[in-house]
Amino acid sequence: MDSGTDAATTSSRLVRLGTDYPRSTTALMMGVTIILAVLAALPSIWPGAFPMLDGVKVDTDPENMLGKNEPVRVFHNEMKRRFGLNDMVVVGVVNETHPNGVFNVESLRHVYDLATYAATLRGEAIGESDPNAGVIEVDVLAPSTVDNIEQGAPGEVRFEWLMPRPPATEDEALAVRDKARRIPFLDGTLVSENGKAVALYLPITAKDLSYKVYAKLRAEIAKLDGDDRYFITGLPVANDTFGVEMFVQMAVSAPLAMLVIFLLLLWFFRKLVLILSPMIIALVSVIVTMALLVITGNTIHIMSSMIPIFIMPIAVLDSVHILSEFFERYQETKNRRATIQSVMGTLFTPMLYTSLTSAAGFASLALTPIPPVQVFGIFVAAGIMLAWVLTVAFIPAYVMLMSERSLANFGAKTGGESDAEAQGVTARFLTGVGRLTYRGAAAILVLTVLAGGLAAYGISRIQINDNPTKWFRKSHPIRVADRVLNEHFGGTYMAYLALAAPPSDDAAAGSVQEFAAALTARIREALNNPAVAEQVAGEAARLAGESENAEAFLKALSGYVSEEELFADDAAVPAWQAVIGVLTDAMHQGEPFKRPEVLAYMRQLQTELLTTGVVGKSNSLADVVMTVHREMKDGLDSDFRIPASAGGVAECLVQYQSSHRPNDLWHLVTQDYKSSSIWVQLKSGDNNDMSAVVDETASFMAANPPPAGLTAEWFGLTYINVIWQEKMVSGMLQAFLGSFLVVLLMMILLFRSGLWGLLSMIPLTVTIGLIYGVIGFVGKDYDMPVAVLSSLTLGLAVDFAIHFLARARLLRAQYPTWADSVADVFGEPALAIFRNIVIIAVGFLPLLAAPLVPYNTVGILLAAILLVSGAGTLLILPALIRYLEPLLFPKTKVCSVTCQCGTCVLSAVTAVALVLVNVHQFLAVGWTKLTWVSLVAIPILALWCGFMSRRRKCRVEQ
Amino acid sequence: MKRTWTTYALALGLVAALAAGATAQDLTVDEIVKKTNHVSYYQGQDGKARVQMTINDGKGGTRDREFIILRRNRDDKDEEQAFYVFFLQPLDVRQMVFMVHKHIGKDDDRWLYQREVDVVKRIAASDKRTSFVGSHFFYEDVSGRALDEDTHELVEAETDDTFYVLKNTPKNPDTVEFDYFKMWIHRESFIPVKVSYYKGGEEYRRAEALEVKEIQGFKTVTRSRMTDLRTGGATELAYSKVEYDTGLPDEIFTERYLKNPPREHLR
Repeated sequence: MDSGTDAATTSSRLVRLGTDYPRSTTALMMGVTIILAVLAALPSIWPGAFPMLDGVKVDTDPENMLGKNEPVRVFHNEMKRRFGLNDMVVVGVVNETHPNGVFNVESLRHVYDLATYAATLRGEAIGESDPNAGVIEVDVLAPSTVDNIEQGAPGEVRFEWLMPRPPATEDEALAVRDKARRIPFLDGTLVSENGKAVALYLPITAKDLSYKVYAKLRAEIAKLDGDDRYFITGLPVANDTFGVEMFVQMAVSAPLAMLVIFLLLLWFFRKLVLILSPMIIALVSVIVTMALLVITGNTIHIMSSMIPIFIMPIAVLDSVHILSEFFERYQETKNRRATIQSVMGTLFTPMLYTSLTSAAGFASLALTPIPPVQVFGIFVAAGIMLAWVLTVAFIPAYVMLMSERSLANFGAKTGGESDAEAQGVTARFLTGVGRLTYRGAAAILVLTVLAGGLAAYGISRIQINDNPTKWFRKSHPIRVADRVLNEHFGGTYMAYLALAAPPSDDAAAGSVQEFAAALTARIREALNNPAVAEQVAGEAARLAGESENAEAFLKALSGYVSEEELFADDAAVPAWQAVIGVLTDAMHQGEPFKRPEVLAYMRQLQTELLTTGVVGKSNSLADVVMTVHREMKDGLDSDFRIPASAGGVAECLVQYQSSHRPNDLWHLVTQDYKSSSIWVQLKSGDNNDMSAVVDETASFMAANPPPAGLTAEWFGLTYINVIWQEKMVSGMLQAFLGSFLVVLLMMILLFRSGLWGLLSMIPLTVTIGLIYGVIGFVGKDYDMPVAVLSSLTLGLAVDFAIHFLARARLLRAQYPTWADSVADVFGEPALAIFRNIVIIAVGFLPLLAAPLVPYNTVGILLAAILLVSGAGTLLILPALIRYLEPLLFPKTKVCSVTCQCGTCVLSAVTAVALVLVNVHQFLAVGWTKLTWVSLVAIPILALWCGFMSRRRKCRVEQ
Repeated sequence: MKRTWTTYALALGLVAALAAGATAQDLTVDEIVKKTNHVSYYQGQDGKARVQMTINDGKGGTRDREFIILRRNRDDKDEEQAFYVFFLQPLDVRQMVFMVHKHIGKDDDRWLYQREVDVVKRIAASDKRTSFVGSHFFYEDVSGRALDEDTHELVEAETDDTFYVLKNTPKNPDTVEFDYFKMWIHRESFIPVKVSYYKGGEEYRRAEALEVKEIQGFKTVTRSRMTDLRTGGATELAYSKVEYDTGLPDEIFTERYLKNPPREHLR
């Protein structure tokens, strides 16, 4: 293998660097690490002091999973602005001991005080320099800040604060409940439907202030006595709290994992000084990678916070292989330099390839359309390659720096009694496994196929779902609050349905002149007073010439008619009022959300949303109009309806605005009455629940075409989560496909054989199949961490296969048959793989202690991945080799040529597929077109490959 | 250069005003309050005005409303009074009427007529500090706040030769949303040029007189603005066709006229 010679020269050069200049190599590594760490730390510790440097920036907003210019996000922000909506912190107050729940004098006094306090949480109060940053006082929803509308004395309507002051008597306390329950907008939102609990809604200027607000509220709540229980939730709180706890995790879990890895290494190799080296490599790789992340101005996001946890195991892997070999061989020569050089000679190529493949797996994440995932993939890939360089250069240097004396009793041959015993058990076990793979090869393969079938079934049952609140454990206060509040209220997850009318037919289509002509025609038709009709027609013609657009024209004509009607003779008044009628109708054509049929449709849609079972409550303009109408009439249930005319709606809305909170209306409809937003409260933040609501709405609107040509579009955090998840799932799948192909191509190159390439892909394919199959069976949601782990699986599982196959191939060359080689293959190579499995699987178990679920998931899955891929490598590969021996180790020329052709075709297919996956991803070219291209490209490439391999230079003696 | 000349003229005028103001030094707080109240709400036996209302939401959106206000004093003590507000535009709320019988010492009587919903409804007077038809003005700003609801004191430190500055503290803080409000009252005209509302030591709401004209001998605010400093939203009122002593009959301020507007008096 000529690559072997190339790699060997490169390897010896790099290794020489370490062995010949151990001090300089070490100093260089330490120097670079310290400089980078300082560059990252300085601006973080003294922000502002180093304007040219980027400090640590934390970003816990899942919204940023989508790029800033992502259409959904642009729309979301545009709608938030248009409707003056903000993200909310929700505080629920529940009392389970008092028979009337919180509706007692004492509890409501606390609620009153808490609401008053909450409204002050901005600017200095939460440590912000901007005096307006924080809770938006005018939009706070609390019993003391919302209006009640009800019947007073007969024929009288009463508008007042729902709870202007804490109630003085129990009756007053109950009255607050009863009043609120009569108002649809408040029932189920402010007051629970069982009448026991109250919720405060605190809109905040920016999501990232929610943890500060949360912390302040918790401190204030701690001062309140009584039996009330307080729960704080809302997506912004969940996100922000996650960010804070994320750092705790980085500070606790990652070092803990390192400690466990350290102890395991110590147990395996018994040499404290020696095993410090992989720890140093892991630490340096993590520090340098994270420092680079910070220095390049990237944010520490939920994704990037996991970088250390991913780099660490991979950084340790290679060192363990080296140490394992060194451990086995050292006593043969008792020469550090000779041993390390021979070890590096054997391991250089497999290590290079394992690192390249792992890096490729992660780098492929750069293809996903999600910026934080791209950053994550690129930096993990960089970290892996860095760890490789360090391993190759620093480990030899480190070995050289140790004194010969300290290594005197190091290694396999001279270990103490118990050592030999311990190692012996493992070694005997592995030898047994080796024999099993030969004798029981058929059984292993049958079982593998069966497992594959089951995995496929499991994968088909996978639930794609995520919910940032569920990133906390069930016992976490945020999860508890989430559960309790969603039991009591309409829901704490907010989504909004924006309804909009297309530009009105009258105003948009045609010119002002045409609009005026049509309007004049309608006026003539409506009037039996020709004099008035002609007067209006004349003025209309004049104004049409002056007006910029139909709307301005209508306004001008309205002003004219308004004056004329006021000053008209009694006889002409009816005619002028008829003109006003026509003009009002024309105005309402352009203001669809004043029209009764539009509001009625909204109500229908809201009722439909409730049937999903996920939506607990929704609030719309229609609810407001119906409530005001009921109270303007006699307060009867039969009056709870939409007025018959758009004018009636307009009057109700003026009345609604004559409250303490006139701006509330503009959260539901725009001032031009052309778009409206339905506030939907969901009881669950699960993405597939939100998706169900989206689908239900779409099918309802398809079956019941809306009036006025309304279009509907969702926004709100809960909806945004659905979108980025969809992008992530499809993006991850393509990224995975891409990296699978890259790795396969690299394997074909490494082994110079399509068959060997395919063989090396088997353990990882089985691992991924099984892991995702089990996820499907267990019912664990396919969420963000699970998706990301597919890349890690790819990297780790192929590692073992490379080491195993590379060594198997070398060892097989020393024996006549595979049967004779098995024992050796299951010697040191299997032992190294076994050690790696144990170290990483056990090393990441501390993650299970983390209160954050994604970290638990990573911990469990890492262990599972290691176990399955290790087992897959040690069982399936030798079993397959047994049956494929004639093809894998060809003895005849015919066989070799067949292999070569297969390899060429396979490489061509892989290469073309790889290009296509990327082209498809980036250039959005359809698959059909790409298929035609590939039909041409594959044979050409295959022929070229065949031609190249037949050159004399490539003729190799088998 | 012309600008400079104008500035001088203004400065001279101001000095003249200052000199005039200095003579009326010995007014008591009570007298200042009463005069201000009179100038703001009680000039003439009756009054009539066309009001153009522009509501700006602070985010670039504006809405217009137009209405007519009729007012009649029902005693000569600057106390009992009646208002009749008739909406002209937008056309879909035309003929909506809001009527007030203002009382001192007891709750006002208030009515609302909605033509399309077809109801005449009394409005409980429990709270007058709610938005007037969606604007930044409150009902109480339109009809006036009873003097006996607050204690008034002169803020000596801020009172100067042009303005009396009064601090008004509610006697019953439960019924209002502010802690106190300050008025900058022009010494000569007794027009409150600026009124600021404070809560927690912070000014959050401000009324300003933007234009004053003399009409039939009465100094009259013809343009005013109310700003919500928390949201940046503001409402401007522009008064036109202002007339005093037009002889409005008392009977038009009754329920009967809500459905049948007194057309000749609205013109």
